[in-house]
Order: sequence, then C-alpha cells, then structure tokens
Amino acid sequence: MADGAASIADILKGIIGKPTGRSRVVVERGPVSLFAAAVGSTSPIYHDLEAAQAAGFDAIPSPPTWPFAMEFSGKFAEIQPDDDSGPNPLGSALGPLMANGGLILHGEQEFIYHRPIQVGDVLVSEGTISDAYQKESKGKTMTFIVSETNWSDDVTGEPVATTRFNVIHRA
Amino acid sequence: MGEQKLFFDEVTVGDEAPVLSHKLTRTDLVKYAGASGDFNPMHHDEVLAKAAGQPSVFGHGMFSMGLLGSALTDFVGVGNLTRYRVRFARQTWPDEVLSSKIVVTAKREDEGKNLVDFAVTLSNGDGEEKVVGEATAALPRRS
Repeated sequence: MADGAASIADILKGIIGKPTGRSRVVVERGPVSLFAAAVGSTSPIYHDLEAAQAAGFDAIPSPPTWPFAMEFSGKFAEIQPDDDSGPNPLGSALGPLMANGGLILHGEQEFIYHRPIQVGDVLVSEGTISDAYQKESKGKTMTFIVSETNWSDDVTGEPVATTRFNVIHRA
Repeated sequence: MGEQKLFFDEVTVGDEAPVLSHKLTRTDLVKYAGASGDFNPMHHDEVLAKAAGQPSVFGHGMFSMGLLGSALTDFVGVGNLTRYRVRFARQTWPDEVLSSKIVVTAKREDEGKNLVDFAVTLSNGDGEEKVVGEATAALPRRS
C-alpha cells in the first residue's frame, strides 16, 4: 500500500505544470442564445443584436459560464492548432486513482474575464495543470487536481478569459 | 463595454440583489445538457441514475452556477463581471426551488476600475446551500 501511495504522489507531482492541450473555438449566435436560455436568463441582450448594441456591445455577448461550454459547439476539427502536448495529464492521474474505486467530483469552478466574449470571436486556448495534491479528511483520501486554461483573441492575441476548475477524487 | 444597469456610486456594502428563484425540472437538465454538451447520463437518464443508486437524476453543477450567473448579470448588467468563482457544495434535485442570494461585500478601486465584490449563494427551499462563491464586477459611475 505504501508503494501505491507513493506512486500516486509521484504522478501528482509529475503532472503539475504539464499542458492539458490547445484549442481554437468559434463563438456563434445560435449556441450562445441557446446556452443563455438554458441557464435561465431572460435578457434580450443574449438574443437580439439591437438590444446588444444598445447595451454597448459590438455583437451578442455570452453568459458568464459560457467559456466552460463553448468548445462543444465551436471547436471545429479543421481549425485546431497543432498540439504536441500528448495525453491529457488529468487522465493520466485520474486513471490510476479510479483503478482503486472512488468518486470524481467537480469541486470548484472559476472564471476571470478580461473582456466580454461575443458572437464572432475566434478564441484560442492553452491549458495547464496548475496544482495537484492529496489531503486526508475523515478517513478518506481526497485528491485535488487544478486545471487552468487561458483564452485569448486569435486575431489580436489579447487575453480574453481564464478558466480554472478543480476536480476532486474521493476514496 | 457592458450593460449599464448598476452604478458604483449607488452601491452600498450589504446591499442585496433581487432574488432569482427557479423550480428545477428534468426539462431544465435536458436543455442544459443539449446546450453545454454535458451528456453525463446521471443528469438526464432516470433509469441509469437509479441503477447507480441515486434517488433520481440530479442537476449539473454548472447549471446551478449558470443560473446564479444569470441572477448576477440581471443585477450588475451583462458584460461587467471580472471574476466569478464557486464551490459546488451539494447536488440539486428535480422539484427543488433554487434561489439566489447575492450580497455586496466590498467596494474598491484598482487600476482605475471601480470594483464591487459580492458573496453569492444558490440554496433550496430549506436553505440548504448548493453552490457558494464570490464574484467581482467593474461598474460605471453615475456621476
């Protein structure tokens, strides 16, 4: 058991700072409007270009948690950047952890916004594992893995948003 | 760039945003799955959820964060948040009435921006906290 525990600790130490991948995403009106409705927003700004422009936007803006979902609709295969970051380190750590059972939870989620994300944006991302550690709590081993992704404007290179989440494995 | 709805000079620490209340339905979960691409069956397939030992399907944590985000932007105006962070405390269940609580905790100026900090919570009808976190908005001045 001690050997197993040590090797998990080594795996966790080894993934800190490792890239989780790169992507390029197009932000489109239909998906943004559907997403806004799906999170219970009734604001016309997410649906109507005139309302968006009246509120000072160039195009229809996106809701606060949109960056977590935007790869689903906008990560078109033919525009993806070269990515030699290899297997996702999150998987490399969760695989051996789950081999002994346990539960994976989305523990925390954070967004930092540098400017609103709007329809028509093309954004590129680069992600890394920013932290990974274990804690004992009430007889359970809690493993925390923190993943951070920086989104920037594909045209201007300006930073747009940072997303950070932690995954908790409890066993 | 942002909707002018709330003004820095008109906000006081302790102010609370209007409460957004929403009764969670299975249809909400299907809509959120389709809009976000999160097709974990625990959120839409009652048969599989029960087989896995859950009493029913349960809500996506990111649906809760999204709903609370809608309450936030209804108050501070779309496009003004600079930061939004939550911890997922408990699962949500169909038929629970989820209500937002958004309280101003601080006002400050940083690099020429007028920032307002909020404590944010989404709870059910029994006051059980589902999502707990904080947010910051950069707001315009009226004067």
